[in-house]
Amino acid sequence: MEIFLPIAHMDVNIALIASYGALVGFLSGLVGVGGGFLITPLLIFTGVPPIVAVSSGAAQIAGTASGASYLQWRHGNIDFKMALLLAIGSWAGGACGVLAARLLVREGHFGNVVMFLYVVLLGIIGAGMLIESLRAVVRRAAPAAAAARSATAPGSPPRTERLRWQTDFPVSGVRLPAAAPLALGGAAGILTSLMGVGGGFIMVPTMLYLLRMPTRIVVGTSTFQLLFTTAAVSVMQAGINHSVDPLLAGILILGSVFGTRLGAWLGARLPGEKLRLILALVVVAVAVKMTLALVIAPSEPYEMSIEVH
Amino acid sequence: MRRWLCLLVVLPAWMAAIQSRAGEPLVVVPEKDQVDITTDFAGTEFKAVGAIEGAGDLIIKVVGPQQEVTLSRQIKLGPFWMGGDRVRVAGAPSVLLLYATRPIASLLSRADQEKHGLLLEGATVRIEPQLQAHAAEDWRKAFFRLKEKRGDYREDDRAIKMFGKRLFIATLPLPSDIQVGTFSVETLLVRSGRVVGRDVARFRVRLAGLERWVWNAAHDHAWAFGVLFTLAAMALGVLLNAIPYRRARHARP
Repeated sequence: MEIFLPIAHMDVNIALIASYGALVGFLSGLVGVGGGFLITPLLIFTGVPPIVAVSSGAAQIAGTASGASYLQWRHGNIDFKMALLLAIGSWAGGACGVLAARLLVREGHFGNVVMFLYVVLLGIIGAGMLIESLRAVVRRAAPAAAAARSATAPGSPPRTERLRWQTDFPVSGVRLPAAAPLALGGAAGILTSLMGVGGGFIMVPTMLYLLRMPTRIVVGTSTFQLLFTTAAVSVMQAGINHSVDPLLAGILILGSVFGTRLGAWLGARLPGEKLRLILALVVVAVAVKMTLALVIAPSEPYEMSIEVH
Repeated sequence: MRRWLCLLVVLPAWMAAIQSRAGEPLVVVPEKDQVDITTDFAGTEFKAVGAIEGAGDLIIKVVGPQQEVTLSRQIKLGPFWMGGDRVRVAGAPSVLLLYATRPIASLLSRADQEKHGLLLEGATVRIEPQLQAHAAEDWRKAFFRLKEKRGDYREDDRAIKMFGKRLFIATLPLPSDIQVGTFSVETLLVRSGRVVGRDVARFRVRLAGLERWVWNAAHDHAWAFGVLFTLAAMALGVLLNAIPYRRARHARP
């Protein structure tokens, strides 16, 4: 069944778009990443103009993330205190990032440099997570002693005890200076606004390995945090670029519901290290995909984008 | 089948219209002067009937409203392919469709094709910012290549059907991503290498119904639309997840 999208100005197959939504919802429910990295290229591949794909994708993730957040909240997986500090940090960081981007764009190949850095960063994070989670899975499979702390990722705790404003985060079971989530949120916010792709990939490993929060709480908190970022992007894209297609986003959200529930259901039954392994595989896959796009010669170096008026 | 029945209904009106202009060498009557894009729009066909006086070949040129296009290209930096420069291409028609009863190159000389705008790569386009001639030429070539690849600029010698020696029906497919605006349909009658008759019709493509409403809302009240729709999207997400959750909880003994 086909439907004509008023903003994207093209007709699409409803079932196909809904299945994209389901896929993204599944990832969102399972590992707490938004899926913008997935939905944008899928939509562009279908023929949706890039700016409409990015904007409608953000609107969809805002919808999906609020649904997923509801489920995570019912499962008690959201650390609201942490999420609030991260969100404040990422908003401030995002604003700085936008300003920085505006200044840096004049330097020419700015976009390429950021893209390059991002791929390297993702590659390192993904590889590190993959090694860690594989070890944890193997260790657990062996009948040996220490599967002690499968809920949290291993590693030495950050040396932050002497910093001020030590705050308890009872849901995550950690004690940190309040500046830590603010700073990390800020860093993620800068990257998000520079790259234009979701902060999930930065935020999730950060919470896992630096803030040392339990995997399940990380997934829930990341999902909740994502809600604010993507909602803000969606409103701004609609206001400035008129590029949010409500029919497209609506179909994606409807499709994502099934995926989200399946993801959240599966996530609640998987041990922490397996969840981390899945996330690691996703991060590595994205890094590989981006690297291939950088290395493989395009069949047509020119690209055309038509302004929809 | 339904299409042919429709044709049967409008045919008398067409014939009357053609009759009223008897004596002209070429008369073309379009099926409609407006195409509405509704929710179930998936492209359409634009039909026109016409009559010619005496023998000859037909060329129909469909020109769409102008469109702004951004072209970008990837460049190689060391081993990596990266986003390079970009330009805007303005002043080019969104579509340029050339239909003829025979390949146009065999009907008219190149000079005549150029004169009547019958070359796919003949449209004048503005490249912005202004570049040196050879650099601009690269972008120009890329623009036409991509347009032809998309099927926006194309030539087709099967779209016109002759009925006997005088009447013809042209069936012109319009894609679903057709630009909104006014299209011109110019028909030329060609006899022994010369254009001997010309008729121009126009039709308008516009958004209708829900499509129009959404488009207006998203453009006229952009911020309100953004805030309201994002809130609605979030509410929809929660609602769709909350209902089954509650039901499952209540069902539990």
